[in-house]
Amino acid sequence: MQRTTKRSHLRIQRDVIYALLLRELSSRFGKSRGGFLWVLVEPIAHVLVPVALFGFIRQRVMPGVEYPVFIVYGFMPFLLFKAICLQIVDGTNTAQGLLSYRQVLLMDVFVAKALAHCVIQAVVFLVVLTGLAMFGYDVLPPHPLELGSVLLLAAVLAFGLGLLFAAIASLIPDARAVIHVMFMPLYFASGILFPVTRFSDEWVRLLAFNPVLHLVELSRVMGLDGYQPTKYLSISYPVALALTTTVIGLMLYRQRYLARVTS
Amino acid sequence: MIRLDNVTKSYLTLTGRKFVFRDLSFDIPEGVNVGLIGRNGAGKTTLMRLLSAVDLPDSGKIVTKGRLSWPVGLSGGMQKNLTGRDNVKFVCRVQGLRRSRMQEKIRYVQEFAEIGEWFDLPVATYSSGMRARLAFGTSMAFDFDHYLIDEVMAVGDASFRAKSRKVFNERLQRSKVILVSHNMNLIREMCNMVIHLDHGQAMLYDNVAKGITAYRKAGGVP
Repeated sequence: MQRTTKRSHLRIQRDVIYALLLRELSSRFGKSRGGFLWVLVEPIAHVLVPVALFGFIRQRVMPGVEYPVFIVYGFMPFLLFKAICLQIVDGTNTAQGLLSYRQVLLMDVFVAKALAHCVIQAVVFLVVLTGLAMFGYDVLPPHPLELGSVLLLAAVLAFGLGLLFAAIASLIPDARAVIHVMFMPLYFASGILFPVTRFSDEWVRLLAFNPVLHLVELSRVMGLDGYQPTKYLSISYPVALALTTTVIGLMLYRQRYLARVTS
Repeated sequence: MIRLDNVTKSYLTLTGRKFVFRDLSFDIPEGVNVGLIGRNGAGKTTLMRLLSAVDLPDSGKIVTKGRLSWPVGLSGGMQKNLTGRDNVKFVCRVQGLRRSRMQEKIRYVQEFAEIGEWFDLPVATYSSGMRARLAFGTSMAFDFDHYLIDEVMAVGDASFRAKSRKVFNERLQRSKVILVSHNMNLIREMCNMVIHLDHGQAMLYDNVAKGITAYRKAGGVP
């Protein structure tokens, strides 16, 4: 039996993240009953329910923008943000078995989970958009590259905030449940069902503190033809927040605030 | 050689910080099989976790040139929602093996574990004996300088025990073992040296019988 060859640090990390990524994807897509279908249920429900409730009342949100497409482009960054953020918050718990191998670091698990959910959400939205296109909706985004950057921004912000939340959750384990519940009001505060321009000005100014609102609006600007965003929309706010949370999160990780507390 | 240099490890609990080791230093010399003994809560598992780098010390360091295994235990390292095969694949990929070399390891584990079609079912559905077969087989598929083994030899039925002992004894021609066990016969049979953990201190005994006597005294066993 030959020994495994000596690998550089970078090579080891690449091997580990690859192994974790395959593991994450195979446990999500394959094996379990229904597999990928279950991954699709949540986003499809999130498009169908509001369309069924409000779609018949108002076919068009604003000139040239159709309601189902409007929902999809708003929901896309939100779902990506939620998935990555919660995966990292729960990652400290679910990773324990994986950390038995000395090559596997907690950060590798976080990175692999974030990458896996980028892949999963990308597939999910391609499926949903294709579905809408088959019903005759115009789904093609006018600014695809910019749209990709917005989604990348959503992923980075989710990663940074996820690290912060994970640090909080490892100090106060009960906080984990609060973080999970928080996504419900966040959904409504992100203007996914209606354009926030419907709300009064004071409200929007308050809601603009929510970085996810900016992601949602940016995504629509890039994905919908002729979409009019709120005047409080800012690119620098979510970018600055994504960078600061990621840096602080990584610092906390280095100081081992995210390490397990119990033995 | 494995050198522990001023290793301190504590865990934060609801009633405050509990120190398992404070400034623990000792050397495990080259070429010996070590038995790690001590009462429950003496820190045997913590020391194994530190040696295998699953957990990091608060301060101090552990230095070795050798390759140390992961802690080979009942379920350590097995992902319960994945199949046995996928678990072996995961370990191979983490170790940097792909394709034909990975297939070779998978075949080895499959033959060693002898769990039949269960190999392609999730580990969560295994009996504890089957889990031990898979865990031990996976660790035997790789070559390490030191195997860290936590009470795994005692499980499984008679035929598996005989087989794993045979393979393991062959392996001990070139590798060494650090063994946690409450089975003193096993320690006597396999180890040339004993580390007795008690109240955060490590006492090293070159004479296995003396070490076991010290452990018995400390534990109040006649």
